[in-house]
Amino acid sequence: MLQAQDLHMTFNAATPIETRALRGMSLEIPSGQFVTVIGSNGAGKSTFLNAISGDMPVDSGRIAIDGVDVTRQPVWQRANQVARVFQDPMAGTCEDLTIEENMALAQLRGVRRGFGRAVRASMRAGFRERLATLGLGLEMRLGDRIGLLSGGQRQAVSLLMASLQPSRILLLDEHTAALDPRTADFVLRLTARIVSENRLTTMMVTHSMRQALDVGDRTVMLHQGQVVLDVSGEERKGMDVRDLLAMFEKVRGEQLADDALLLG
Amino acid sequence: MSLFSLFGALEIGLIFSLVALGVFISFRLLRFPDLTVDGSFPLGGAVAAVLISRGLDPFSATAIATAAGAGAGLVTGWLHVRLRIMDLLASILMMIALYSVNLRIMGKPNVPLITESTVFTVLQPDWLSDYLARPALLAIVVLAAKLLLDAFFATETGLAIRATGSNPRMARAQGVATGAMILCGMAVSNALVALAGALFAQTQGGADISMGIGTIVIGLAAVIVGESILPSRRLVMLTLAVILGALAYRFFIALALNSDFIGLQAQDLNLVTAVLVTMALVVPQFKRRWFGRKAR
Amino acid sequence: MSIANKFFVPATAVAAAMMLLAAPARAQQKSVAVTAIVEHPALDSVRDGVKDALKQAGFEAGKNLKWQYQSAQGNNGTAAQIARKFVGDRPDVIVAIATPSAQAVVAATKTVPVVYSAVTDPVAAQLVSSMNPTGGNITGVSDLLALDKQIDLIQQVVPAAKRVGMVYSPGEANSVVVVKEIKELLAKRGMTLVEAAAPRTIDVASAARSLVGKVDVIYTNTDNNVVSAYEALVKVGNDAKIPLVASDTDSVKRGAVAALGISYHDLGMQTGRIVVRILKGEAPGTIASETSSRLELHVNPTAAARQGVVLSSALMGSAAHVVK
Repeated sequence: MLQAQDLHMTFNAATPIETRALRGMSLEIPSGQFVTVIGSNGAGKSTFLNAISGDMPVDSGRIAIDGVDVTRQPVWQRANQVARVFQDPMAGTCEDLTIEENMALAQLRGVRRGFGRAVRASMRAGFRERLATLGLGLEMRLGDRIGLLSGGQRQAVSLLMASLQPSRILLLDEHTAALDPRTADFVLRLTARIVSENRLTTMMVTHSMRQALDVGDRTVMLHQGQVVLDVSGEERKGMDVRDLLAMFEKVRGEQLADDALLLG
Repeated sequence: MSLFSLFGALEIGLIFSLVALGVFISFRLLRFPDLTVDGSFPLGGAVAAVLISRGLDPFSATAIATAAGAGAGLVTGWLHVRLRIMDLLASILMMIALYSVNLRIMGKPNVPLITESTVFTVLQPDWLSDYLARPALLAIVVLAAKLLLDAFFATETGLAIRATGSNPRMARAQGVATGAMILCGMAVSNALVALAGALFAQTQGGADISMGIGTIVIGLAAVIVGESILPSRRLVMLTLAVILGALAYRFFIALALNSDFIGLQAQDLNLVTAVLVTMALVVPQFKRRWFGRKAR
Repeated sequence: MSIANKFFVPATAVAAAMMLLAAPARAQQKSVAVTAIVEHPALDSVRDGVKDALKQAGFEAGKNLKWQYQSAQGNNGTAAQIARKFVGDRPDVIVAIATPSAQAVVAATKTVPVVYSAVTDPVAAQLVSSMNPTGGNITGVSDLLALDKQIDLIQQVVPAAKRVGMVYSPGEANSVVVVKEIKELLAKRGMTLVEAAAPRTIDVASAARSLVGKVDVIYTNTDNNVVSAYEALVKVGNDAKIPLVASDTDSVKRGAVAALGISYHDLGMQTGRIVVRILKGEAPGTIASETSSRLELHVNPTAAARQGVVLSSALMGSAAHVVK
């Protein structure tokens, strides 16, 4: 389970363009829960995700995964506990390497790498099986460079890759934002399936309030670097986007003004 | 062109194949522009020459020279990874520093090996003349290096190194310690170049402080010409390609040396080489268009 | 475009084929193959000297002599390939100018006669085991100068000199040898040597400037870098009033006060005379290595005046050549 306590992060401190991205951000996610995170631009969603993954070090606060303090650990050290799917399909895979090489990399996430063969025949069978579940025909193309695949296909493979090794937390960073609506839908359904099959603790950042409510068990809304809304269970089941907005107004005393968020 | 010239080109080409393999690892696999090679090539030559002239057997001397090259690569890598100096700059700093280091090691600008025993004199069979034996020996060395590299980059660590160069952010997300991978790759790369330098000093008659000038250019030319001759995405083919590129480049120089009958003189050597290399890069493009049109 | 293609590819193939099949020299013609590590006024003079000596002895390029010259363009890899090409061409003599080229050629053959030139210490470079006839295939001419006489000259030009400065390239074996020896010899006479290293030709000016105020005279040997950038040295000598003493006579025209040395052209002629002996049938193993035989004193009174010294009439009188 994930514990983020009182995280603070400021960019360009003490300059005219100082930005306080996280202002005392706290969140606890118990094991097996699927949390969606929304918020307008500048709310701190991506920054929060980067803090959890280790891409950006926090100025103060504590991050613990299953009780282990990981606040000062670099990305690659946390990787055995944190799996991540990037927003940009290019950023999440190695273009020059083949599908099976990418999957072999992911297979060893968090495992000490030695001098054994990276892609073994026994692994290939497993890869084929899992790729077959996508229904995209990729199981025939293990030896193709992953750069040949479309964005949607790459995201699908990235999702699979994220589930090859057990992780304590799966981070999804607006992973359907760069895809067309149909492919986005496909990837989203795939996400739901993989998360439930593997019972993964998941945190999904999304720009779409609709998506945030449809998927997962719990929705958290960030605003100006803090959690302002946290709905789950029965309360969340019947909610609509309008209900969410009304709640926001009540809590903050102001209207939400981000078009993309409202229309998404 | 005499047979001597041809085998001479083969011999020097094989030595520079090792340089090409080293440059391939740093430039192509790690995406690290590494000018250290202008310093690690003579470093290999200097260490080998000094140790041999002090009485050490040439095999140990060559091995130690290779290790010295690995050390140089580690320092460049460390400057970049730890001290956060830009990769190109770190390698330039090392290249400059190695000039003085090499002079120190040699004690003078030239350490001759003409009368000393070298790996070539020791392994020279009686039934084969030396101008044939040396390329044969080098061919075995280069082949062994290529196969070892192919095997290495198919291992878990090797794949991690390739990922580090291809997409370091993703690699880190998969738990790869990219800093350590860069150090490892740079060490292997410069070890190969220093090995080449050690072998070169032993066939050339000695180590000279100026022997490193232009190594990076030769290495890059070999990589680029090779990729043009044998385009492929697979690593096993790419290592073969850069070896062929190095051989082709030295072959072009040999051709240029033999072109005095058409009125070209010594000072035109560089120009002729450049023209030949350009043709090597451009002709494959023409061929594709030419054959493509015929197919219709 | 397609016409260019159709021409281009076969043309390349034909050119390559022609080069591959280029015939070696005819048997009855004598052939001499010459190589230098780099194109450079001094080394070029040596090569011209060799050619002239051959001409004097009746061997003319194009008539009864096949003459080949290749420069390694400063690249040791190319020097190695040139060495192998020459050996494969089986000339009667190979002339190798400067240490890296000489080493490459000597390492490439034990049978073809090799005459080295412009190498200061051929024994240290392992070209020959001693300056005596070696019984092998190597001989040549060293440009080593008797340093005692050089210091004598320095003292004749600047009698009160105590500190001698030297600009040289630490990357040239010849120069490093001279620096070491001259330091010891100067010490014996109660003088000191102040070194200034110039690894590249563009460093010569700043190296010279670093000696200003620290030396009474600047001496230079036949260092390739320094000789090619000698004008930079002359400027410093004139501006700071430091007299310059050189080792090659060409530099005196360019602004040195005096030099007791050999012109590179003469060195080349001396080398060429050895080549002629081999062409006429002598075995290289019976010919002893030589040092520059004809030392000449050249002086330049105008330069002397600019640099603040007056040349004694005895010195002027003994000079072989006085620059006007």
